[in-house]
Amino acid sequence: MPANALLSTLSATPLFAVGLTLAAFLLGNLLFKRLKKPTWLPAILIAALLLAATLAVIGLPYDTYRQDASWLTILLGPATVALGMPLYQQLPHIRALWQPLTICLPIAATLAACYALLIAWVLGSSPLILASIAAKSVTAPIAIGITEQIGGSAALLLGALLITGVATAAFVGLAARFLKIEDERIIGFALGLNGHAIGTVRAFEISPTAGAFASLGMSLTGIFTALILPLAWRLIGAGG
Amino acid sequence: MPALIGFLWLIGYWLIGEVFVHFTGLPVSSGVVGMLLLSTTLAIRGRVPNSIAAAAQPLIALLAMLIMPGVVGVFFILDELAGQWPAILFALILGTLLSVTTTLWLLKRLMGKHHAR
Repeated sequence: MPANALLSTLSATPLFAVGLTLAAFLLGNLLFKRLKKPTWLPAILIAALLLAATLAVIGLPYDTYRQDASWLTILLGPATVALGMPLYQQLPHIRALWQPLTICLPIAATLAACYALLIAWVLGSSPLILASIAAKSVTAPIAIGITEQIGGSAALLLGALLITGVATAAFVGLAARFLKIEDERIIGFALGLNGHAIGTVRAFEISPTAGAFASLGMSLTGIFTALILPLAWRLIGAGG
Repeated sequence: MPALIGFLWLIGYWLIGEVFVHFTGLPVSSGVVGMLLLSTTLAIRGRVPNSIAAAAQPLIALLAMLIMPGVVGVFFILDELAGQWPAILFALILGTLLSVTTTLWLLKRLMGKHHAR
């Protein structure tokens, strides 16, 4: 049977795209463990590289793949709602530190977006790029929603999330040493606020306390940015 | 069966979020509205029902897989944005360094006196 006929038979059903995704995800995780969990190469990046290479080799167009894989990605909706559970479990931490957190969160979460936006804008990036990287510090399921609202590209956003997460994991240690900070609560919060899920995974490697504060930083940044950024974007767009 | 009941709750909250967004016209995603509703419900009940935990935990564990089809897309726009990458990379990396430093410094200052362990 010619290869073309084989491919068109297989890709006639969305289960082919679903199967490819599952296989790449599991293989990516396996390789990640074999490579002793490098911070600069998260499991999701390995899996995405494998999947992209597979699509290129077998000649399945990305748009066809993405359409079929929507059988999986539709679960992002309920999965985002599910994040309400860990958020509820973080409430005791929020109560204990509500004062510093209520001041720090809006400033830090706003700056997390603004520094990068400002630099990109100065360097002459297009409005599409700005809209795509604005949610760079927000956890992926929430960030995808925000980016759809403000008209960015989901693909570029996810690339920006990867780069931001990896950079955060690398920079927090350096900056903490520079500022002589040893409090794991502060380090964890900074990891989650700036580096979303990738930063949170890094924080859990430091200690459970750092991990808990990273989850807190990640959830609060996600909510704050989801409520403020689309509104701010609309206002700025209307003004300019 | 508990996982199915929990899953139905999650879908229900998401659908409420969808209706809320449709009628208020607010620029937020249905998922975020559903998430806030879920955590408010849990806070009022004061505990996580087994059914919610049974559905939420595996879904959260699978988040990385659910965003993968989107992540792969970045490799297919590499050419489209060919000349733009240096600016994007520079903005993301320098921006992240600045914002990490600001967060650490700010929270240290704010927690300094009253909340030290």
